[in-house]
Amino acid sequence: MSNRNGWLRGTTIRKGGTSFNSNHTRHTTPQIQSTSSTIFGGGVKDPSGRTSEYFSMDDQCPVCKSDRYLNPKLRLLVSACYHKMCESCIDRLFTLGPAPCPVCAKTLRKLAFTPQTFEDLGVEKEVAVRRRLAKNFNKRREDFPDLRSYNDYLEDVEDIAFHLINDIDVPETEARIAKYKIENANLIELNVQREEQYAQYLKEQEEIDRLDREQRAAELRRLEEEEREEREKGRRELIDKLETSDKDALKLVARSKAQALKRASTRSASSSASNVFQSNAKLLRSRAAQSTVIPDVPHVPLQDDWYAYEDKFALRDNYDDPVSEAVRRDREGIMRAGGYRVEEAWQRALTFAVAGLDLRPLGSAVPSKSTEPADVVMAEA
Amino acid sequence: MDAVEKANAATQKKWAKDAKIGEGMYAVVYKGREVAAGRPVAIKKIKVGQFKDGLDMSAIREVKYLRELKHPNIIELLDVFSSKTNLNLVLEFLDTDLELVIRDRSLVFLPADIKAWIAMTFRGLEFCHRNWILHRDLKPNNLLISADGQLKLADFGLARDFADPGYKMTCQVITRWYRPPELFFGCRYYSTAVDIWSVGCIFAELMLRTPYLPGESDLDQLKTTFRALGTPTEEEWPGHTKLPDYISVGQFPRTPLRDLFTAATADCLNLLSKCFTYDPKKRISAKDALNHPYFFALPYPSHPSKLPKPAKKSSPLEEMDGNVDLSGPGPTVKANPPNKLKRKLSSGEGDTRSIARKLDFTQKSPE
Repeated sequence: MSNRNGWLRGTTIRKGGTSFNSNHTRHTTPQIQSTSSTIFGGGVKDPSGRTSEYFSMDDQCPVCKSDRYLNPKLRLLVSACYHKMCESCIDRLFTLGPAPCPVCAKTLRKLAFTPQTFEDLGVEKEVAVRRRLAKNFNKRREDFPDLRSYNDYLEDVEDIAFHLINDIDVPETEARIAKYKIENANLIELNVQREEQYAQYLKEQEEIDRLDREQRAAELRRLEEEEREEREKGRRELIDKLETSDKDALKLVARSKAQALKRASTRSASSSASNVFQSNAKLLRSRAAQSTVIPDVPHVPLQDDWYAYEDKFALRDNYDDPVSEAVRRDREGIMRAGGYRVEEAWQRALTFAVAGLDLRPLGSAVPSKSTEPADVVMAEA
Repeated sequence: MDAVEKANAATQKKWAKDAKIGEGMYAVVYKGREVAAGRPVAIKKIKVGQFKDGLDMSAIREVKYLRELKHPNIIELLDVFSSKTNLNLVLEFLDTDLELVIRDRSLVFLPADIKAWIAMTFRGLEFCHRNWILHRDLKPNNLLISADGQLKLADFGLARDFADPGYKMTCQVITRWYRPPELFFGCRYYSTAVDIWSVGCIFAELMLRTPYLPGESDLDQLKTTFRALGTPTEEEWPGHTKLPDYISVGQFPRTPLRDLFTAATADCLNLLSKCFTYDPKKRISAKDALNHPYFFALPYPSHPSKLPKPAKKSSPLEEMDGNVDLSGPGPTVKANPPNKLKRKLSSGEGDTRSIARKLDFTQKSPE
């Protein structure tokens, strides 16, 4: 209606989903956002004129399958054909101009993507359709001679909305809208003005209300302040009295203590957030109970004697190895800063050489192939 | 030739293909079973047609290395056969992966659970390294978990064996968030230490329940890393400023790990800091890590059968990874072009080809 300024501001707030990141405001890609909301009016504005954007931890882009875990900044926008995709897919597909929608192949352009407000895209579409219709079909009861014709008119509007929402006879319906627009151009304009006036009136009313509320709040604050000062004064007097005469000293102290206790008890009642911890503790206890059934076994670092043959050779400090000359001569350490060790290549060669020594040579009396250790296969390769 | 075809047909008959459970850039995964025993398996069908120069590089790597590795903490390749023009890998069927476990907010991890997962990771990795194989794509998504709780390394599409001196290796490997700084500096000669850094990142992710170093670009990754762990000095990491792509991203002070991992034990942080040692030569090896006091201290690592698992409703995940999409012109030794390996694509610059980077397990069409 009259929230045009809000539109242009294009600010968004998050809603839905879990609390994670919920107070996170978006600064990136303002380009898509502002243009799309000004041209297309995408998203739905709340009374303060901001677009609240649907957001959930389970969001996943249907096109690239990227989701919020992989890309915390994931933002899904809705195309003119009501298919969701993420910003990076939109950039990728539509930067070079209009391109077909990857889902339904309808030609889309980058600017026509809008933020999503509702979880259900059907609702999203219905809201958009109805918002569009409300702009033109704005006749009121006063514009009709009797209730019957007004009801017929409302029925017609519902009919059109239904057709648009469900994509039935779209060209025909569009023609109907266009016809209505031409026929009722004057009345529409008049009603728009009337509505603006009404909105203006509402705004003024709101402003008056607000001032009134503020005044009352200020009054209340002033009263409280006075009361507090009075109490302070009373206490000071009490102390003065205690100083000058020790008549009711014990009684006075007891009374002040009782008051302090009362205040403390009201405070403690408000906090009761210990439930979560309790349930967690219960869960852990159930896990602990389970652990007695199958005992955990101590860690055994290596479960075989793979390294037993390491004593079959002794690695020397250096070998006459022309292949590794470059690495060994590399004084700057460029080849070694990445963790490369020539020694490992030598060790590998020697391991392969000795690892098969204990095995019987392959001959006609080959045992079954599966019992061969994997390293023999490696050594042959 | 006929004998080969016959053998292939015989192998093919041993396995039955059921429903499709996932699709990636270069492979489709089906749930299947062994005809004789009824044991469930995963059948990964490599799409050959689109690579005009032959088989996809990562498929070759996968077959080459998985054929050789047999270990309780490494996914088992049961068989390989071809059907029409496709190559089919028959793999062990595994229920879920560590990423799904981390992401399931309803699960509570005990310190013993984390210890068990990390111990199993190191055990599988140690087996790769002792066989001179670098995995080069460790991340929670590639650590699969079997029905009985065993964690298994999977996706050997980027693995390679240890380089002979003089052979350069590509530095465009490992998903960005798990990639060590030496690879960002363009180091072409590296070693097993690259995998250890990835395990460190996974270790931290298990404790934090969110990725530890989520850089948004390669440069931002370095900044994120240094912000978290301090900028390395020349004493800490000799020679790193001379690396080919060295670039200075600013000085950040070292903050103690204790500040972030408040609940961790001293042993735990000691192991973590050894995984995050900047000098790859001083970074702990998988074998030494397995002998680290952290694993011997109480509590003992949880028995695999007791480890938390996501609720059954989530569709089973397969040995599969859609990220390793080789969309370059055929297989090249240089592995993947930059930008191809990111687990996420935040800003969308560059990438124009791959649309489905991640497997969509929601659409379960029957075969």
